[in-house]
Amino acid sequence: MIRLENVTKVYDGGVVALKDVSIDVAKGEFVFLVGPSGSGKSTLIRLMMREERPTNGGIWIAGKHASKMPNWKVPHLRRSIGTVFQDFKLLPNKTVFENVAYALEVTGRPRHLVRNQVPQVLKLVGLSTKTDRYPRQLSGGEQQRVSIARAFVNRPLILLADEPTGNLDPATSVGIMRILDRINRTGTTVVMATHDHAIVDAMRRRVVQLERGRIVRDQSRGVYEQRDTAEPEPEAEVPTPPADEIEPSRAERELAAAEADLAEIPVDDLEELTEGMADDSAMEES
Amino acid sequence: MSRFQYVFGEALRNMGRNALVVLGAVLAVFVSLFLVFGTLMFGQIASSNADQWSDDVRVEAFLNDEVRNVESLQSEISDWADVAEVDYISKPEAVENAKEIFKDNEAVLGLIEEDPSFIPASLRIRPVDLQDYDRIASQLEATPGVLQVVSAGDAVNQLISLRDGLQVFSWALAIALGAAAVALIANTIHMAVYARREEIEIMKLVGASNWYVRVPFLFEGMLEGLIGGLLAVGVGLGAYRLGFDQIQGLVPLIDLTVTADFLTQRSILIVLFGVAVGAVGSAISLTVHRYIRT
Repeated sequence: MIRLENVTKVYDGGVVALKDVSIDVAKGEFVFLVGPSGSGKSTLIRLMMREERPTNGGIWIAGKHASKMPNWKVPHLRRSIGTVFQDFKLLPNKTVFENVAYALEVTGRPRHLVRNQVPQVLKLVGLSTKTDRYPRQLSGGEQQRVSIARAFVNRPLILLADEPTGNLDPATSVGIMRILDRINRTGTTVVMATHDHAIVDAMRRRVVQLERGRIVRDQSRGVYEQRDTAEPEPEAEVPTPPADEIEPSRAERELAAAEADLAEIPVDDLEELTEGMADDSAMEES
Repeated sequence: MSRFQYVFGEALRNMGRNALVVLGAVLAVFVSLFLVFGTLMFGQIASSNADQWSDDVRVEAFLNDEVRNVESLQSEISDWADVAEVDYISKPEAVENAKEIFKDNEAVLGLIEEDPSFIPASLRIRPVDLQDYDRIASQLEATPGVLQVVSAGDAVNQLISLRDGLQVFSWALAIALGAAAVALIANTIHMAVYARREEIEIMKLVGASNWYVRVPFLFEGMLEGLIGGLLAVGVGLGAYRLGFDQIQGLVPLIDLTVTADFLTQRSILIVLFGVAVGAVGSAISLTVHRYIRT
């Protein structure tokens, strides 16, 4: 789903953000990018969303050669990528519903699809009762859930999250992680940059650690690889499930605390959502 | 249809958000195009008057009494490329003309009646273009049988350079003012983009096409140019109608009339020019703006 081959990124002025980085992320995987500030996590996310081009090396996103792609094709690529940021990036003069609907409207989706999809996605993130609120009337965690809903409403193949819990307290963060986990379970590939080791360890997913622009740890590494025959993209390879690292008691307590937060979401919403994806793909724009 | 509503709605909303800046740009386009309109009118009036005057300009070649075959000389000169028409004024006609001119001057009249033979016959030549006048005059001087060449001389040259100068000035002014209007439109679009940078960022994040992001701004610029152009034409035509009689009274020698065709054509041209100025202005702004560029 995402493949980087020997990617190096040097910014104007000679700052080397990434050095010879290679990663393979399979469809449906959940990957944490960890490392100190300035280690290259955000640069990696920006390269994956084709906001920037690498100085050297190749990047393939959802089967497309993103690093060679001309600028005018980028919008189409973006429709298969959802993005979530630390600062939410919500429009203050639009309601929760309008903020989420915006992602569908500006990509030219028909109105009935907007009316149908937005409530479903808001239900998934537990904001069904707050559709008419404005961002300033919401807590940080709720705002981030709106931004996740907006990122997911287009049913992207990939969700990229750059420090999505960076502005939130631990309990709220766990709530956000539950939602990202749900989204991941619909088959969406999730890549999340974070400093929050507690969350990373609690989630028990693949971890890629960066330091000064290099990958110093990739927990799926060294394990055998297996071709995914169901996946049409030949370059997408499925790594074996990553070995769990540490047993995190504190994070697990936080997870339990966050359960209450999301208790109002019925479990079968997930199935409803995945059904929604079927008729969505039929409406895929020309 | 909903696409159009989107583009139109966004453009109007943007313009409402920066009403003062937009007003400034529209007024700038209006003033520029109004001046362009005025310059075009002025140029047209000057040029048509110069043409009228130049119609009356003749080169006159007085002939020797020895010239017998006037007709062959006349047809020879008619064949020159820069000559439009040659009239022959015979000796008796010239005498009649002279009497007419000097009918109030007893002394001269007496001289003419005493010996009319000193008044020469002449060929009166109309040049194709005013500029050909000098060449025709010197060619005539070299022609056997021609006694002397007379024409309006410096007056004609001055008229020519005045007409040409006015035309150059008109276009230079129009271009300079057009460039100013382009810059001002670019500025308003720049501000509109800046005001909406967050929205643009999000649009790009969720995969709105470049055209989807840009078209409302392009449309906004064209709309501002259109309004400015319409204002310029409206005020220009109004001023011409209302001011015609008074100004014509002040300058009786100059004919201020222009044809309705000319007015219609130039009005359409000005409005289209306004739209083009708006399109170019916003296109420039969208090309250089860092929030819009991918």
